[in-house]
Order: sequence, then C-alpha cells, then structure tokens
Amino acid sequence: MTTSEPLYSLHERVWHWIQAAALVLLVLTGFALHYPDRFGIFGSMARALSWHTWIGATLIANAFLGLFYHFTAEKYHHFLPRMDDFTVGAVRQAHFYLYGIFKGEPHPFETDARQKLNPLQRVTYLSLLNILLPYQIITGVLMWGVTRWPGAFEAMGGLKLLGPAHTLGSYLFLAFLIGHIYLATTGKTTLGLLRAMITGYEEPSHPAQPEE
Amino acid sequence: MVIDFRHLPSRSGLRLALGLLLTVIPGSAQVLAAPRMAHPTIILKGEDGKNVLTTHKPISTRKTCGECHDYEFITNSFHFQQGKAEMDPAFLKGHGFASFNTSPGMFGKFSILPNRQLTPAGVADAADVDLTQPEWLMKCGVCHTGAGISEFDLRGRKLLSTEAKPAGSLDPSYTIRDRVTGQVVPWDWQKSGIAEADCFLCHTPKSSRGDRRERMAAGDFRWANNATLAQSDIVLKDGKGGFTYNPKAFNPDGTVKALMLNLSDPPLETCAQCHGFSARNASMIQPIQHADILRGAEKAGWVYNGSKISETVSPKILGKETMDYPWDVHAAKGLSCIDCHFSPNNPGRKIQTDPEKHLNYKPVSEDIGEYLKRPDHNFARGRIPPETVNITRHNTMRGCAECHDAEQTHLFLPYKTQHFKALACQACHIPEIHFWAYRSDEWAFLMDSGGSKITFRGIKGDIVDPDAEISGYKPAYVPTPAKDGHLEIRPTNLITGLYWFDPAKARPVFTWQIQKAFFLDRRPGVGWEFRPEIVKAFGDKDGIIDFPQARFDTPEKIALVQRMLQEQCGIKNAQLRIEVVPWAMSHGTMGKKQAIRDCAACHSRHSILNRPVDLDDFLPEGVPAYYGGKLANVVDRSGKEPVFDNRPLLRSFYIIGNSRVAWIEVLGWLAVAGALLFCIIHGLIRILGARKS
Repeated sequence: MTTSEPLYSLHERVWHWIQAAALVLLVLTGFALHYPDRFGIFGSMARALSWHTWIGATLIANAFLGLFYHFTAEKYHHFLPRMDDFTVGAVRQAHFYLYGIFKGEPHPFETDARQKLNPLQRVTYLSLLNILLPYQIITGVLMWGVTRWPGAFEAMGGLKLLGPAHTLGSYLFLAFLIGHIYLATTGKTTLGLLRAMITGYEEPSHPAQPEE
Repeated sequence: MVIDFRHLPSRSGLRLALGLLLTVIPGSAQVLAAPRMAHPTIILKGEDGKNVLTTHKPISTRKTCGECHDYEFITNSFHFQQGKAEMDPAFLKGHGFASFNTSPGMFGKFSILPNRQLTPAGVADAADVDLTQPEWLMKCGVCHTGAGISEFDLRGRKLLSTEAKPAGSLDPSYTIRDRVTGQVVPWDWQKSGIAEADCFLCHTPKSSRGDRRERMAAGDFRWANNATLAQSDIVLKDGKGGFTYNPKAFNPDGTVKALMLNLSDPPLETCAQCHGFSARNASMIQPIQHADILRGAEKAGWVYNGSKISETVSPKILGKETMDYPWDVHAAKGLSCIDCHFSPNNPGRKIQTDPEKHLNYKPVSEDIGEYLKRPDHNFARGRIPPETVNITRHNTMRGCAECHDAEQTHLFLPYKTQHFKALACQACHIPEIHFWAYRSDEWAFLMDSGGSKITFRGIKGDIVDPDAEISGYKPAYVPTPAKDGHLEIRPTNLITGLYWFDPAKARPVFTWQIQKAFFLDRRPGVGWEFRPEIVKAFGDKDGIIDFPQARFDTPEKIALVQRMLQEQCGIKNAQLRIEVVPWAMSHGTMGKKQAIRDCAACHSRHSILNRPVDLDDFLPEGVPAYYGGKLANVVDRSGKEPVFDNRPLLRSFYIIGNSRVAWIEVLGWLAVAGALLFCIIHGLIRILGARKS
C-alpha cells in the first residue's frame, strides 16, 4: 500500500460537501421557517420554504447517490462497527477524546483509505445516516407531500405531529453539525481532517512512499 | 310595465319572444333599467278578504299575498319563526344548548345582548317571568317580521281564535311584565291585534322600518304592516295612530298601482334595514337608524358598501385618505344579499348537486310556478358563530370557492389546499374592520339609565357624535366548524358580557331582578335612582357612579350586589359570570391588494392569529369565563386590560413559525447548547494543554 491513495476519494468528498452544504442550508432555512420574525435572512417565508424544499430534494438525491456509491464501491463497511472489538475500541477512542487528546497522546486508531473511521465515528455516522437522516427525510417529505398524499400525512399525525417531529430532528442535526465541525479539528493537525476532506489527503504533501 | 324574463315559465316560448321584441323596441333599455321583478297588480285585502280601500281596515298579508303564495309554507321558515319551530328541549340538549335556552333562535335563546330570556310556557311563579311573547314582539318584532311568533301562542294556537286562551295568569303568550309596576299583567290581544308576516318590509323598496318599529314598540301590532308602507304613498297616517289609504295609489279596478307598491326581489336596502349598513354606493354611513343600531354594525362593524372608504363623508374614518378601496369588494361588484343568501328552491339560484350520488350538477329543478307559489324563505346561509337558528339547515349558501377558483388566484401561496382548509377565506380577506362595534355589554352593573354598561371598540368618542374618530379594529381569530365539520380559523369581533347567574334556577338573573337590586324605583321624569348602598360602595365623593366606578374591583362590591339580589329578589349566592361571544365577520371583504399576504403575519411568534384582542376596560378577578357556552380559559388578565387568549381554542392547529411544543424546544436547544458547551470546554482545555506542553 502507498500513502498516495487518498483518505477520501473524489466521490466521497463531493458527496460529503454537498451533504454538508445542504444540511447547513436546511438548518438555516429551517430556522427561517421556525423563527420567521427573528431569522429573516431569506426574505419572505415563502422564499425560505421554496429554498428549504429544493435543498431538501438535493440532499435526498445526494443521499441516494451516496448510498449507491458506498454499496457499489463496497465502501459501506467503513460505517459498520467491528463487532469483535467495538466496545474496547469505543472506550479507547472515548478515552482519547476525553483525556489523551489533552495530554498529546497519539490517536488510538490510525486512519487510512481502508479504515477511515474510528469506532465512535462509525456508530455515530451509522446512526445518523440510517436513523436521523431517514427520519428527517420522511417527516420532511410527508409535510412537503401533504397535498399529494394527504392520507399518509394524516395517518402520520398531520402537521400537529410531523411539524414538531421535524423540528426536533433539525435541532439534533444542528447539534451534530456543531460537534462534527469541532471534532474535525482533532486530527493529527488542527486542519488535517478538513484538508483531507478537501484534497483527499490529511498531510500537506504526500510523496509516494515505498511499501513496508 | 316591468318584466323579468327569469320569472316567466320557460316552456312557454314567451320568454324568448318577449326578449326579441324588447331588443328591437326603441327605449326598451329604459324598461329593463326599471325594478327587477314583474309582479301582477294586486288587491290589498283585509282580514275579511275585502279590499282595504273600501273597508279601511288593516292589510292582511295572509289574505293579500296568501291568495297566490303559500303563506303557511313561507312563514314556516326561520326568518319568521326565529326558533319558535325548534322549541324542542331534547333537540336543544342534543346540540349542546344550556337548559335556560328554549330555542336556538332569537325567540328563545339567551344572549348577553340584551340579557333577556323568553319565558317558557308553563311557569307557575311570577318570579320566573321575564320576556313574554307580547314584550318580545314589542322589542324585536320590528325586524322579525310577524307570522309564526306574532300569530300563534307558545302552544301553537292561533291568537285571537276561539281556542286561544291563556293557561293561567302567568301564561307568557298572554301577559307582560309592566315596566313601571313590575307586575305581570294580562296582554290584550284584541286591542293590539296580531302582526301577520310583513312581506312589504323586504319586498317593497320603499318599506319603512322606522314606521313599523313605532307601531310594534307601541304594541299596535295590527297596523304594523300598514306602517311599513307609510313612505310609499299607498297608506297615509290618519293622525290618530291609524292609517288610511291614498286613493291615488289605486287603479280604478281597486288594485294597487304596480309602480307604487313595486313588489320585487328584496333589494340590498331592505335587507340592510335590519341586518347592517348596506348600500351600493354610499358616502354617508348611517349605522343608527330609527333609534336602533343596525345589528350587523353593533355586532361586528358591518358596512356592506360599494363606495370607496376614502370617499366617505361621514362619519370620520381615520386614515381614510389612504383607503382607496371599497368598504366591501362584493358590494362594489354589485352583488346584492340574495345573490348569496338566496331562496334554496329558486330554480335560478338553487344549488343543484347531489353529493350522495356524486353529482356536481343535478339536472332536475323545480318548476318556476311551484317556486313562485312556495318560495322557501329558509334563505341560504353559512354557519357562523354565534348564530344557531335553523341549526339543521346551515351551510346552504354557496361557499367562496364555488364562485372563486382560489387555486388559480393564489399563486404566491404555498400549500394552498392546507391554507384553504385551515383558514376561512375571511381570515385573510377581512384583515380589519374600518368601523366600530360593540366590545362589551355588562349587565352585572346597571347604569342610571337602568340599562347595561356598554363599551365599543374602534371609535374614540360617542357613536352618535359625527366628529368622533373611527379607527376601526382588527379581529380576533377563532376556530369554527366548516361545511364538512372540520375546524377552520375565522376572524371575529368579540363581545364580552358580564352578568349574574342564579345557580338555584340554573339561569342568568333577569334584568328586572338586577334593576330591583340596584335601584330604589323608577320615578317618572327622574329616571332610575340607585340604592344608597350601591352609591356608597361604587360612587365617588359626590355620590355619582360614572363609567370608571361601575366595576367590580373588590370582593366587597360583588358581595354587596349578591346581598341585594338576595334581599330584593330572593336569589341566593348569585354568581358573576363572564361570557366572551364571537360575532363572526362575513362582510367588509377586501380584495387581493388589501388581503393579508405576508406569511409572517400568521407564521411568526407575534402571529395575528394570537392577537390579544381587548375584551373590556376591566373584568373582575376570580370570575369564571365562558366561551361558546362552556367554561374556557380565554381571558388573559396579566396586562393593563383584560385581553382574549385564544390559545386554548387553537390547540388543534400547528402553525409553522408560531406553534411551539415546549418539550421539543427545550430538548432541542439543550442538545444544541450541550454540543456547543462541549466544544468550547473541550477546545479550551486543548488550547491550554497545548500551551503548557
């Protein structure tokens, strides 16, 4: 193996940044809908709603493309926790975040193209992509599709239930985004992980190294 | 001669022939511009069936109109009955009416306006007598046009007939409480006569409500219908309280000249006499006519007028310079009342659908002849609070969407179907009322006029003062059942009543009882004199009770009136009650430029849907509030003035941008704050750790 293989492929990076931009914009437009009198950055509420809808559609399309990519490229395993040592690995990673990082200890898990995520990241993203994201998509699509599928909308509790449910999902996404952006600074260098998600490589320069 | 083609039999071919004829006759346009409906010349008959021109007796519409039209059928409708035909306790209970109501209509339903209760048949105690049938007619009979209520007693017997006899000395159909002595005394129907259906009030353009009111209020029911024609030159006042007939108004054959009577479909102006100020194009708004506030104006500031507000000369409308739009967009387009509130069996207007068979158009209509004989006077109507008369036949009129294709005209509006379902069209299209209306009517404290304490909204000054500035008001929003039963939000005026309730009798305390508790006596020429105890408790240093003093701001004042009610009327533990009554707005509709289009108007924290509409200057603490006849926490007393809190009513609605589920907000913000806090603390420790190393 050579380190010249990028940590994140072009597909993954494009997928990630579309997802990230969509999420940020959805949170912002969501705020414009939830707090229209305090957060009027999109002008009228109708405009914010229109943006929210189109961005939501983009996020859904991107999510499906990501799903397709990860399955066809057989990269879904990056998100699956290894059951043999998950607990030990998770404890080690948590210990690092809560203690070792302050002492300058090395990362407990080395990341490379074959193992991109530590155990805590795996379980977090697995939950996010398989629970929170679908939950938010379903509640959002049902609200968007109220005129198209009124039966399903009403069966799911109508706006009285779907509205607050979608709002709760938004708060959780915002909390995730905050944590995610911060934890992106916990790589080998402060901007290393960010660089990796932009260039594909965590290191500023990445000369080809002979295999050991 | 005036011909309306619609009312000619369609099969005769005459319609087409006359149409063609008139189009080629010079001056035919002039003919068409005359009144809308042709009616054959008629003989005005008295009760004896003879021409009144020769007998000089009062006109009998039963004999005159009833000769061709089915009088019984027509008058068995809510305009005439006002609940009399719906006096079934089980029916009322089934519809959730409180037990002290005897009908769902004006004739039998208690209202905080004006705190009077129709006395039911069968009372055995004079203390249980409030509004009797004759007094009801004197007070309300000016608008409620005779027939059912004024021809038959509460047991359904024809008044003045041989079988019509009082069942005891307190029979409310044959008695009245004397205003001066307070005693229940017999009513002399022979002297008053009965008031038959007043067809003229609605069907003659020159009908005079004022003259009719005079007769009805005087208890002279017999001549009331003649009085309605007092401005038509057909009848003349004889100077002795009666009427004579003007021979010049009659043809040689004894019929009335058609253009003198001018019988027609009810024009806007005749409906307006009772319902609210309505005109095609008026710059003078006159909401008070014949010493009465028109009901629509009183209850919701109703002005149905095609003229622009900016062109109003009187009264003073604040800011009218910028109001370059009509008082009501429908009036400006020339719609008259019967365009929407039509006779349900009028073949030309009838809604010919059959939902059970999924037919949007049912190609079978009644024959025009049948309609003319038996025109249904249960006029098409909506369903708006607090009107409950004819309760089983609401929602018979065309809805807005049956004329307007709203889906095509609201392109700016997302989620149209949801908005149209959640909101009545009026919610956006009646954003405000540019007139005044009642705000409160307190019968718990009586002023020295012997009447209630009334406050208005939307006006600075007295409603009879032409210089008073009218600022108008913005509505409150309440949920009301739509045609299919689901709740929709509708704009409304709110009128708050404060009144006494007798728990032992389970009914509001009668006005005469409150008067007894408050006043020593009514002395001719002096008016009502407060009891010394009342003056001492409520009055100022000079012993005068002005508006600001007329309030129950201490428990002692409430206890005093409770004691007076017990001492004077034997009412134990009388309870004060607040009732907030919505009077829905249906007129004063604005066009698209004035309608609410800003999403944030509703979808924001300070949504107009939660507008804290002021209820009164003051409402006593600890007094239960009722809304829709039920206890409801709709009064917010936390501010300077009590305001309406409709949140309990709108709980079933989730309004994006306005509604909040507390636990979700708390949990959500805790998650966000927790993430932020974690990052800040974690980051700080990392920075400090890096510096140390």
